[in-house]
Amino acid sequence: MRKPALLTATILGGMISASMAFAQIPPSNSTPGEETTTAATAHNAGAGRFGGPAPSAPQAPGVNAANLPDISEIGINEVPAAVPQIDATPAREDWPAYGRDSSQNRYSPLDQLTPENVGQLKRAFVYHTGSKPGPGQANKWAAETTPIKVGNSLYMCSAMNDMMRIDAATGKEIWRHDAGVKYHSIPYTAACKGVTYYTSSTVPEGQACHTRIMEATLDMRLIQVDAETGKPCEGFGFGGQVNLMQGMGESVPGFVSMTTPPPVINGIVVVNHEVLDGQRRWAPSGVIRGYDAESGKFVWAWDVNNPDDHHQPEPGKFYSRGTPNSWAAMTGDNELGLVYVPTGNSAADYYSAMRTDKENAVSSSIVAIDVKTGEPRWVFQTAHKDVWDYDIGSQATKFDYHHEDGTVTPALLVPTKRGQTFVLDRATGKPLPEFPVVEKPAPASTMSDDPRSPTQPWSTAFPRLAFPDLKESDMWGMSPIDQLYCRIMFRKARYVGEFTPPALDKPNIEYPGYNGGSDWGSMAYDPESGIVIANWNSTPMYDQLITRKKADALGLKPIDNPSYNPAGGGAEGNGAQADTPYGIVVTPFWNHYTGMMCNKPPYGMIEAIDIKTKKVLWSRPLGTARANGPWNMPTGLPLNIGTPNNGGSVVTKGGLVFVAAATDNQIRAIDIRTGKDVWSDVLPGGGQANPMTYEVNGKQYVAIMAGGHHFMMTPVSDQLVVYALPDTADQKH
Amino acid sequence: MTSRSRPRRIGDWATLGLAILIVIFGLIFVGGGGYLLSLGGSPYYLICGIVLLASGGLMAMGRLLGAYLFLLAWAATLVWTIYEAGFDWWGWLPRLFGPTLIAILVVLSLPVLRRQDTVRPVSRGAV
Repeated sequence: MRKPALLTATILGGMISASMAFAQIPPSNSTPGEETTTAATAHNAGAGRFGGPAPSAPQAPGVNAANLPDISEIGINEVPAAVPQIDATPAREDWPAYGRDSSQNRYSPLDQLTPENVGQLKRAFVYHTGSKPGPGQANKWAAETTPIKVGNSLYMCSAMNDMMRIDAATGKEIWRHDAGVKYHSIPYTAACKGVTYYTSSTVPEGQACHTRIMEATLDMRLIQVDAETGKPCEGFGFGGQVNLMQGMGESVPGFVSMTTPPPVINGIVVVNHEVLDGQRRWAPSGVIRGYDAESGKFVWAWDVNNPDDHHQPEPGKFYSRGTPNSWAAMTGDNELGLVYVPTGNSAADYYSAMRTDKENAVSSSIVAIDVKTGEPRWVFQTAHKDVWDYDIGSQATKFDYHHEDGTVTPALLVPTKRGQTFVLDRATGKPLPEFPVVEKPAPASTMSDDPRSPTQPWSTAFPRLAFPDLKESDMWGMSPIDQLYCRIMFRKARYVGEFTPPALDKPNIEYPGYNGGSDWGSMAYDPESGIVIANWNSTPMYDQLITRKKADALGLKPIDNPSYNPAGGGAEGNGAQADTPYGIVVTPFWNHYTGMMCNKPPYGMIEAIDIKTKKVLWSRPLGTARANGPWNMPTGLPLNIGTPNNGGSVVTKGGLVFVAAATDNQIRAIDIRTGKDVWSDVLPGGGQANPMTYEVNGKQYVAIMAGGHHFMMTPVSDQLVVYALPDTADQKH
Repeated sequence: MTSRSRPRRIGDWATLGLAILIVIFGLIFVGGGGYLLSLGGSPYYLICGIVLLASGGLMAMGRLLGAYLFLLAWAATLVWTIYEAGFDWWGWLPRLFGPTLIAILVVLSLPVLRRQDTVRPVSRGAV
């Protein structure tokens, strides 16, 4: 399910003296879960209901964070006719949606910045969101935020869901809305990828809440405020808020959360949510829901195990539990009346024997849901019966595919953590004939109770965003000793290539790892040149199923257990997988002594692909060793080693790619023709966010949230850093 | 002349230290490499480890042959690196960087060992 990122430490090494490398001392304890943490007091409510799922049990206090009344349901015919939204046809200088426009292609038609002048780019201003770990709070921060820009204003959210409007030319705060999200509501990560700009269909221009800023929060609220003033829109829900825990049944704060901007399609706002990985088989539902964007009233639900019931559950009933959740940004399609939902796994990611056929049909898929009915129109699955956490983290991108015969098909570009990129017909969900999908045999399970799919889908024509399967000789280190250690780890594991299934008797190597391939940074696509920009990871994981007894010994408990220890089993690592026979141990495939990855570099790449010829135009490592090294020590070296990365890119008409993402804490501009860096700057925190670009008063700006990422071990900051050419520099417009 | 077989100059001590270091590496290589081979992995570490044990042991005894054995192991490692990793610079780093540093020290120890080795027959004759 959720997976931002990983891995610190990868890197560099030989620069350390050989004797240091040889003097490795075994760590006193390499098992997880000894760290003490704060949090958790909120999880202590309700002991005695952990023998199994109790879906009818009441939600713990604080789950309905704002104590909102239940929202009522209306029919689709009662939803007011939608007016055109600004992201359908954005002004040239704007960036009104998460991926700039409703096609979510991360392409800007601005061309003031070019490979020739971008070297003069300087900081124009820095804006502080004010959200970072407080005293005594464990660092769970990774803002991952991309502002949107409409008119002369930026609109964004902080990692803890405060919303703000900022002067796009000066960085001055115009208003701020305090969302009041509490620390205990942070699931694995405090993140808010962005807000949605919504134009009302009923409130006339000039009145409050004609234009609105909407967000989905970590504590499961949908909030709308007036774009002009930041005041709550009273006509939406209850005082501008809707409680999305309604109908979810038993839960605790932090179990279910939302981090992506909800899309509005033909007047329906669609919401998905993350369910914390690895907790229990009967975790809260992954239900997808549609609400009237105007009033906040419920319209439909898509509940995987109750596919024919699109209504809200009656009192005492709940959406089906443990179903695949969707945490990535969704893509809307007004023309076809669809929302493209990237789904993840059923709960308990690494054990599939308890999943229903209905779940198996829609997990780790793109599901196109009709926004009038909540009924799926088509499903395309990217990994069958997933036990590798190959949930889809990327937002799909809409584009028009021009066939050789001159016809055009509305298409969908679907990146995956596997590094397979699927190109689908948006109307049917079928792969385009130019991008066939082949079912290839996949390894069988060694767990007799949990068979695997005999085949898995491969997009054979689109360049694969991954290196070949690992070999023993790909093992790495600073010295022959740590290379030998990694070779032993490699040989001790079961590994028969991609889709090696998890097992009880030995570890398995999962490669590509759950950080991708392509993760939530998604892809950028230039519709004029047909060039796709993709950044991706090469970070294998080392997994093993463990018995319940062993899981208990490791202290692995689900989040709703009173003795839950967040450090013992979070979304990214070891998990209790309660209600199943097995827990799961997951670590990066790394050297426990040095904290360096076991496979050789590069660990992160960026490449340009021509969608017409399906050729890779250039491919290069992304990120230097300057902030990484053994034992997590910065080496300061400018070596272009290619680090793990999280966050996407922007492609501009000016011929530039802007990307941060890497763990070297830099933002860089790349010349799209050559793939070479033409500018870079060191950020005040990790740049694990998607950058964006816009223009105000004839000046082009580039913005990046340098929020850092706890899992990537990059420094946290609350700074949005915005760049522009100095006034004296060459500006074409 | 009997005291000559005991190290007494800085160079002698340094050479002995280097020899011990090489023996330690040899032990790790033999232990880890034997385990790796038992898991179906590369035999390089076990073979190289045996050579390193011999090399370090001989060097500790003041034998020039020990240094030559290390340099032979280094040369073989170079060939093995090209065989396994080709000319991928990242692949050379773990395999050759540390061993090359040690090889440089071994080359620096050659004069010391040469002196120790030439006095050996005299010492023996005195026994």
